[in-house]
Formats: sequence, C-alpha cells, structure tokens
Amino acid sequence: MSLMRRKHPARAPLPPLLCRWDLDKTYLRSEFDTLRQLWRTARETGADKIEVPGVADVIKGLRSAADRRERPVAIHFISASPPQIGKAIRDKLALDGVPYDGIVFKDQLQHIARGRFKHLREHVGFKLAELLRGRQGSAPGTRELLFGDDWESDPLTYSLYADIVAGRLPPDRLAPILTRIGVDPLAVPAVLALAEEVGGAEGVQRIFINLERRTPLATFQLFGPRLVPAFNYFQTAIVLAADGLLDSEDVARVARTLLDRSGFTPRRLDNSLADLLRRNLVSLDAARALSDPLRTDGLLPAATRRRGQWLERVRTRMRRLRRRAVPESPQTGPLDYDAILDRFRPAKHAAADAGAAS
Amino acid sequence: MPIIAVDAMGGDLGPGEAVRGVAQVSLDTDIECLLVGDEQRIQAVLEQVPYNPERIEILHCREQIGMDDDPHEAIRTRKDASLLVGVRAVAEGRADAMVSAGNTGACILACAKHFTLLPGIKRAALASVFPRYTEYPGQDALALLLDAGATVRCEPAELVQFALMGSAYARRISKVPSPRVGLLNMGREEGKGGEVLAETHRRLKQLPILNFVGNVEGNELVRGRADVIVCEGMLGNVALKLFEGVSEVLTEVARAAAERRLMWRVGLRLLSQGIEKVQALTDYSQYGGSPILGFQQLFIKCHGRSEARAVANAVKVAAKAVRDRVPAEIADALGGHA
Repeated sequence: MSLMRRKHPARAPLPPLLCRWDLDKTYLRSEFDTLRQLWRTARETGADKIEVPGVADVIKGLRSAADRRERPVAIHFISASPPQIGKAIRDKLALDGVPYDGIVFKDQLQHIARGRFKHLREHVGFKLAELLRGRQGSAPGTRELLFGDDWESDPLTYSLYADIVAGRLPPDRLAPILTRIGVDPLAVPAVLALAEEVGGAEGVQRIFINLERRTPLATFQLFGPRLVPAFNYFQTAIVLAADGLLDSEDVARVARTLLDRSGFTPRRLDNSLADLLRRNLVSLDAARALSDPLRTDGLLPAATRRRGQWLERVRTRMRRLRRRAVPESPQTGPLDYDAILDRFRPAKHAAADAGAAS
Repeated sequence: MPIIAVDAMGGDLGPGEAVRGVAQVSLDTDIECLLVGDEQRIQAVLEQVPYNPERIEILHCREQIGMDDDPHEAIRTRKDASLLVGVRAVAEGRADAMVSAGNTGACILACAKHFTLLPGIKRAALASVFPRYTEYPGQDALALLLDAGATVRCEPAELVQFALMGSAYARRISKVPSPRVGLLNMGREEGKGGEVLAETHRRLKQLPILNFVGNVEGNELVRGRADVIVCEGMLGNVALKLFEGVSEVLTEVARAAAERRLMWRVGLRLLSQGIEKVQALTDYSQYGGSPILGFQQLFIKCHGRSEARAVANAVKVAAKAVRDRVPAEIADALGGHA
C-alpha cells in the first residue's frame, strides 16, 4: 500500500446563491381579498402576522446549508405591499429569526399622487425592475432561487426574469410582452434598459410557486420544468435538498415544524413526498436518501415490512424507470410567452383591465 | 383521521370522476384517501384539478373489473384489479373503509372473499337508500332498504339480522334514536307473504331492541312509514329498479311534453323550481353510496354512473361510518339479540 496520500484536487468554490422571496401568500399568510381584510392587514403588528408553515425554516436552512458549503448566500424580499407596513414586516422577520439581506416595497403613493390607480395592482413591471436591479449588483455566475405564489403574477414575472437573465429575451422581444401585460408605460424603458444590462448568463436555477390557492398543476405546464409548484414547504425543502441546496437536517427541521405546529402528520408528509415522485420532481434514489433519516427520526412513517411490500417497491421502481428521467438541470429553452399570455391574460382582459393581476 | 380506499377504476365513467371526487374531498375535509388504480392515469387527472396531495395516497395496480364482466370470473382471474387491491388494503388495515362505483356483483364477492363477517352474521346485505316523505323538519329524507340484491332468497333468521344491521346503521348514520323498521310485504296482516315472511314478522315482533312497525306495503315505501325496510334481495332489487325506472320515465315524459306544446313548456317552466326540488330528492349523487353490511370492515357501493360529487359524498359517508363505529354498533346489536 502506498504511503503517499492521493492528492485530491481542490474543490472549486460554489457560485454565490441569491434567494428572492415574495412576501404575501409566499412568506406570510396574508388575507386581503376584501377591503376589511386589507384594512386589518395594514393595521397588523409583526406579532399579529402569521407565516406560511415551514417557510422560516426553509430560509434558515438555505442560509445554514450555504454556510456549511462556504458558499456566499444572500436573501432578499420583494413585496408589492406599500412601505408603510415595512416595520411590521421587519418585526415579523426578526421574531421568526429569519436572516435576510434586503427588503423592497412598492411605492404605491407615487401612483396615487399621479392619479394612476390602475397601476396600483400592476406588479409585473415593479417586480421585474427590482429583480433586475438586484441582479446588477450580484457577482458573476450568481445562481438564483425565486419564491412566489399562485395568487398574482409571480410565475410570469419570475419566468420573464429568468429568460432575461439567460439572454433569451432581448429587449426587442421583451417590449411587446410588457406592453401586452399592461406594464406602466413609464416604467417600460427602465425595465428594458436594465434587461439589456443583465442579460447573457444562465442564472435562475429554480422558481418555486407556493400553491396557496391550490391552482391545478396543469396550469403551470407552459412555464416548463424550471418552475416547481409546491403544495407545502416540506415539498419545497425536498426539492431544494435533491438539488443539493439543503441538507437532510434542514429538511428534518421543516418537517418537525409542520408536525409540531401546523397539524401535519407523518403520513401527510409522506403523501407530499410521494406526490413529488409522481411528478418526477425528485428521483427515487434522492427521495429514499432524504426520507430514510426522517423515517428513523419518526418524522415520516416507518417503512413497513409487510410481506410483499418489497415487490410493490420493485414494481414502483420499474414503473418509474419506464417514465422520463428527472431532468438533471431544469433549464428550459425560451418559453412561449404568447401562449402563456393567451392563457393567463387574454387580449380582451388585457384591454379591459390592463393593470389587473393575472 | 379515517383513511378511505377509493376504487379509481370502477364505474361507468372511468377514473376521471372518482379521482375528481377524491380531489374535492382532499380540499374540503380532513379525510385521507387511498386511490387504487393506474397511477399514471390517476395523476393525469389530478393535475387538471385543484387537490391536496397531503391527503391522497395512490396504490398502483394494473387491472380493473368492467361493469359488464362476469363477477365470479373477474374475481377469480384478476388478482391485481383495483377493486380487489382496495378491498385487500382495507382487510389488512391499510385503510378503514372502501368506496367503489364498480361492478356490484364483483364488489359483493370481493367483500365476501377478503372481509370478515361479524360474529353470528349468516349473510351480508347490500343496503340502499331511497327518497321518502318526511314528517317533520330535519328528518332524514332517505330511508334504508336492505337487502338490495346480495342474497336472492333469505331465511327468517337472515332477515332478522338484516333488520338489526339496518337499524344500527340508521341509528349511527341518520341519527335516528329508534329507527322504525318495516318488513316489505304484500299486505299489513301478519300472516301475509308466505311462511318465510310470516315467521320473520313473528320474530321481529318479539325483539324489544327493534322499533318494529309491522309489514309495509309497496305504496308505503315512499310515504315514510318506516326508516328501515327489510326484504329479500330479489324483492329489494326489483323495488329499487322500479323507483329508478319511474323517475327516468317521468323525466322523459316531461321532456317530450315540453317539446310538443308551448303551453306545456311554459307550465313546466313555471314548475321548474318544484321539479328541481323533486329531482334533488331523487338525485343519487346527494347520498353518494350505500353500505354492504355484515362485515367487520366497511364498504360503500356507489351508483355505477356516479360523478365526482357522488363519489365525494360516498367517501364522506364512509368516513362517517368509520368515525361512528358502525360495525361495532351492528356487532353490539347482534350480541344483544343473541
């Protein structure tokens, strides 16, 4: 046996990770479907606000996992809520112990002052501009994770942004899309200028959409495999872990919070995991590697050893092997935005209410 | 939380309606469902509708039993059929009850093959509910009839057991403290209907735990004289099919009349609200399904043409029967009788 140690090549440093989060319905369980709820939301303190179960643990896990890998990470929030509720939001994040590096709110007063009320509810232009500005200051090669929900335009906004960053949506293709969406015409030139500056390198790794409204999954097919609709933050954590962005201990923390504080049961978590497998969002091997420690800790039901169960597993495996493999890299080609807008913002709707959210 | 196995492949309408029904249940209730059937076809339907994956598990199987298949042959040869896989899952304790809109004969045979009869029970009974006249607000608009076809000819002891099972089920599910039990016969007099029915009448009258109201004639079924109607399988099946047939013919007659004369069409239009109420009363999707009684395990059989709403309601009935411990109630009733 050689006494010489094999020299391992130095591991290349991981690129920085930038995580951008929407607030309402993604981080917070905000209710503002009626004027009364809107008024109540505006008056809430940080202690009154309630987060979506498990979200704080996912954010903390992203930070911890990145630290363990010595990977630079930044966490930003972009909210279309007015800055007047900023204090309550910051208090809430502090109460939850969520580490973040920045938070941006939408200045609604400028629209009110100019009497442009229809732009109060148009968030695509605002969010796109803020995402692009955030990208400007990031290091080359930065990888991004985007987190939103299925209430407004997050799938569309985030997909546009991802394609701009990847250089697949040059300004001449972007401009008519923004016009069709009904983005504030005064904001369009700024968005196009920013898009020209940042475009050119693949940056967005995944887009996670919290299915707060339980929107049917088929709705998101047009957005490609980069976008991951998730029913709860355990599912989000599993996909992040399968992508190597969280560790088993981080997933366990999310699972424990859901079990202890949100009425989940090990069986409900197990069903959530099985749902991801059926949707080919994680491989069988990755799911097993992640779930085994959770079963040992009692966070998932223990694997039963009933006679014949092994056969069922083999059958399941064979069935999955026949199906398409889990995409190694969920990057997609340019999306068909005409089809997306036909589906989500039909021309009649856009003309009648150009500023309305999808 | 009860776990209800649902045969995704059973029924005339394929997996679409059963899966949509389960998806609806997953959003509205805390009931957990075990969907049994072709996983890929089930997932394809799920992705088109809102659902909550936390409350849905899928148990894959390759085969199914068609509505026109011979039940004996199908049960013998298709071990991996969704109905059999689901029934086995309930028998093994993986689920608490089973719901299927599939082949009725196959459902009964599958239960007989894998479920365990309650102590003392001679034969299981297929129950069914039908609309009846209500006498006071809040009274259950549905009466229970058993047997609806599981046992063609019965002995008096079996009919007595049907009465006890039906009474226990109505106590739990319809929340009637002392359900009135009637024996379907061709006359009110005790000796009517031949030896079997006369002997059954005599035995039922002697049971203090039953609120036996005597013989019930065909025209009294919908008048609400009894909450539970007991009869042989052949008679029950004929009575229920007669209900369905009359209801269908009336609808067709009304439609034809509306097409023939403008005045009749106007008249029907004016009566539309009342007609809708009658239709709602006879709409099987409202009550979802009917139980197969006599086993330690629960099985709810839906109409073959059940749409998503009917399947969802059947799942809720099954969950209610699990929560209310219907088999235990029946066992207690039978134990008391013994």
